[in-house]
Amino acid sequence: MDVLGRDRRDGLNRRAGAGVGRLTLTLVSAILLLSNLYAAEASVFRKAREGALSFAAPVLEAFAGPVGVIQDVVGRVEEYFFVLEQNKSLREQVEALRHWEHDARDLRELISAYEALGYYFPPPGVTPVNAMVIGESGDAFVHSMIVNAGREAGVAPGQAVVDDRGLVGRVVDASGGAARILLLTDVQSNVPVYVEGSEVEGILAGRTTERPAIIFTRNDDLQSVEAGQRVVTSGAGGSLPRGLPVGAVADVGESEAAVDLDANYARTRLVRIINYEFPDVEDDAAAPAPEDGDAPQEDVSAADLNAGAGPGAEAGARLAAAGDDAAPQTGTRR
Amino acid sequence: MSYASRAENLGRSFRAAAPTLLGVAGVCLLAAPLRLAEGALPTPVLPLVVVYFWSIYSPSNLPSIGVFLIGLMQDLLTGGPLGLWPTIYLMASYLVTTQRSYFHGREQRVVWLGFAVIAGLAALILWSVMSLMSGAALPIGRLAVQMTATVLLYPVIAGAFAEFHRRVIVEA
Repeated sequence: MDVLGRDRRDGLNRRAGAGVGRLTLTLVSAILLLSNLYAAEASVFRKAREGALSFAAPVLEAFAGPVGVIQDVVGRVEEYFFVLEQNKSLREQVEALRHWEHDARDLRELISAYEALGYYFPPPGVTPVNAMVIGESGDAFVHSMIVNAGREAGVAPGQAVVDDRGLVGRVVDASGGAARILLLTDVQSNVPVYVEGSEVEGILAGRTTERPAIIFTRNDDLQSVEAGQRVVTSGAGGSLPRGLPVGAVADVGESEAAVDLDANYARTRLVRIINYEFPDVEDDAAAPAPEDGDAPQEDVSAADLNAGAGPGAEAGARLAAAGDDAAPQTGTRR
Repeated sequence: MSYASRAENLGRSFRAAAPTLLGVAGVCLLAAPLRLAEGALPTPVLPLVVVYFWSIYSPSNLPSIGVFLIGLMQDLLTGGPLGLWPTIYLMASYLVTTQRSYFHGREQRVVWLGFAVIAGLAALILWSVMSLMSGAALPIGRLAVQMTATVLLYPVIAGAFAEFHRRVIVEA
């Protein structure tokens, strides 16, 4: 009893002190929370986030190694049970891809013919940075990933991030050795996209569910969109390159269209961050036009940008070539 | 200062900081790409268990500033609005501390139920703030799964924490 009594006295004193502290801290947090409404992008907050990133990156990297190994082992054991089915589906895929390879070779031939004629202007080059996913927000509403490449590797906020399937998201914070990617499913994510086939543009907005939705600027755009059509980035706004594969239209609702993403976030481990330099329009206009006249040049470049077959193949080729196309890198402005 | 008192000081500061460190470790676990069951199962909110457990059994080992730091770390690492998780954790800690005497000596089932209520309140605050900030009512599916997983895991985690508290913090 004696001990209990002493404890209670201690407790009372402590509670009085702790109560004020807790109240103050709760107030501080509430004010912080409110200030997010007006100043989420304030440099203090950004610096704090970047500081936390660089502080946590080594810890997360140490965590991510063993986690990856365990996932590999579990995945391998699971795959043993499906080897036959997988073999069959892979064979079918190879069959289908052979046709595409044939088409791609034909198109490459065609492009080199245009290049020889001086009609073709390759899109601006990109410098890819490869990185490993070391962190992922385990939050229900905030969808982001942390990768182990940062400013030192040339990563900066705004850049596009792709994996082997398609667009993953864009960089929002970058510290020295790590960066945070906002995924397409996050409610704050807005990416300008283009629907192939119906040839309309819209904004892909995250909905915190697996499927983000395309919001169209014009109502009648929605009527021309059909399920199954391919969705790629439109490049509007200039921060993302045009033609990165995003997904396919899953179903069309009353005011927006849901999209099945190409990226599979449960399997994303290696990503490629695309350092894209938007071509400087003024410099292009000032550049001397080819002697053959203006008309064919405009036709080709317009067709090149808008043709349905173009964008995806372009992006793929660009990624594979990794900057060996002699691009008109006139603009360093971002 | 003698070695003995210095060691005692060290021990005391470790005792004061151990739950906070455990909470920060929970935050790191939340930020690690665990992807339980191919991403179908969200990582349980371990820091909430840390805050609840030590607020009931030994608030002196988890000062308010520690609770605040755990929450702030979580906001900074997940990239959510700053101040959201500190608010949730501090409110949870306040609610639980005021009801401490009720929970003491009760069956574990009652304490578990208390945690379920706190987790529900936390989910409610989280959902309302995020919905207000994004300007639309967000779907609650994933949050419900995450909180349910945390509540279901509570007895296991609390058992481990009780053992940790007894062996490391009290006897250290």
